[in-house]
Amino acid sequence: MISAREAGLVGCHRCGTVHQPQDHDCRMCGKTLKSRKPNSLQKTWAWLITGLVFYIPANVFPLLSNRVLGSEDGHTIIEGIILFFKKGDFLVASVIMAASLLIPIGKFLIVGFLVLSIHYRWNLSAHARLVLYELVEFIGRWSMIDVFVVALLASLIRLGAIISILPGPGSVCFALSVVFTMISAQSIDAKLIWDDTSKEPKHE
Amino acid sequence: MTTGLNYQNLDGLIACPHCDLLHELEALQPGQRATCSRCHSTLITTKSETMDRTLALALASAVLMAGALCFPFLGMSKAGLERKASIVDVILAFSEGWYVLLGLCVLLFVVVLPMVRAALLVYTIWPLRQGRPALPHAKLAFAWAEALAPWAMTEIFIIGTAVALIKIGGLATISFGTSFWLFCVLVLVIGFQNASVCRWTIWSTIRKVTA
Ligand SMILES: [Zn+2]
Ligand SMILES: [Zn+2]
Repeated sequence: MISAREAGLVGCHRCGTVHQPQDHDCRMCGKTLKSRKPNSLQKTWAWLITGLVFYIPANVFPLLSNRVLGSEDGHTIIEGIILFFKKGDFLVASVIMAASLLIPIGKFLIVGFLVLSIHYRWNLSAHARLVLYELVEFIGRWSMIDVFVVALLASLIRLGAIISILPGPGSVCFALSVVFTMISAQSIDAKLIWDDTSKEPKHE
Repeated sequence: MTTGLNYQNLDGLIACPHCDLLHELEALQPGQRATCSRCHSTLITTKSETMDRTLALALASAVLMAGALCFPFLGMSKAGLERKASIVDVILAFSEGWYVLLGLCVLLFVVVLPMVRAALLVYTIWPLRQGRPALPHAKLAFAWAEALAPWAMTEIFIIGTAVALIKIGGLATISFGTSFWLFCVLVLVIGFQNASVCRWTIWSTIRKVTA
């Protein structure tokens, strides 16, 4: 088991073609070659913090606001979940809780933990890191569910002219937060996950 | 070197794009799949029909999307009044103020990006399939098709629809339109399309025909 970097070579991030270190562009797919993505961890932090900054107003401002007879009362993500629990709609309450609360918060924690564990070379098996990384890659997009729900609800109700529900500012902040954390997870260079464990001297 | 890898011929090697582990390329039997021995991501699939399949599924997804936009998505009835709404109505429901952003999210992630991906795949693969040289910027087109994959969210939208319907349930009677079912098929087709792409096969074919 030897990585391209340990062999003194550079593997293309996009297609996997192996190159000499002095080569500039991939001869197969044309991507600029880098042994490891430059400043991968700093970029991940920057996008993660941006996502976190937008996640705060996403929870403070209402996701939806009902406009009944001129008076507006909206509800935030947490109020919405409590509303459904009280109504006995446990399925909806759990889906929303997973998509809007557990996944985003879990994602902030996992990405932060991954970046720290790579940076400080914490004694954690590469496979554990891989599982976390794949988890974040896979579930991150699913937070967008709540944005679609708000858009559908508000437009269907508006089209049906039943009552007037408008999307609240929280929904747009939430959408932006999801987008930024997705970019953050994509900025992690997965090759870094394996680097420190393979630093140990090789015995054949 | 004791690893037994031949560093003289770099074209005989592949470095896993996800974990950088070096592998020796060897001829695979049809139907075999080469996975990384460390992170288990797929390196090469030898489905001989990978291009045919991807092409057919990309074209099918475009047809389905066109249909899904034309037909009504959901119908609502309350007290004898019936309203039908298509996806276009849903997107256009907020045409003023900053709500536009929300409609744009749906438009972009659910309609535009999946179609852009299908178009890029067809643009890249069609000439290769015919044995003709790749079209200009085919490498860039395929790279974009791959990069956009996480941003195409049709399947998330369908789950979102289900949640929205449960939420709305008490307020009106909901019926599913043709477009809803087309969307469900579309989700499957896009899923198969993504699974049928073999990046290595497509990259090496582009290289072969342009060299
Ligand atoms: Zn490449
Ligand atoms: Zn690998």
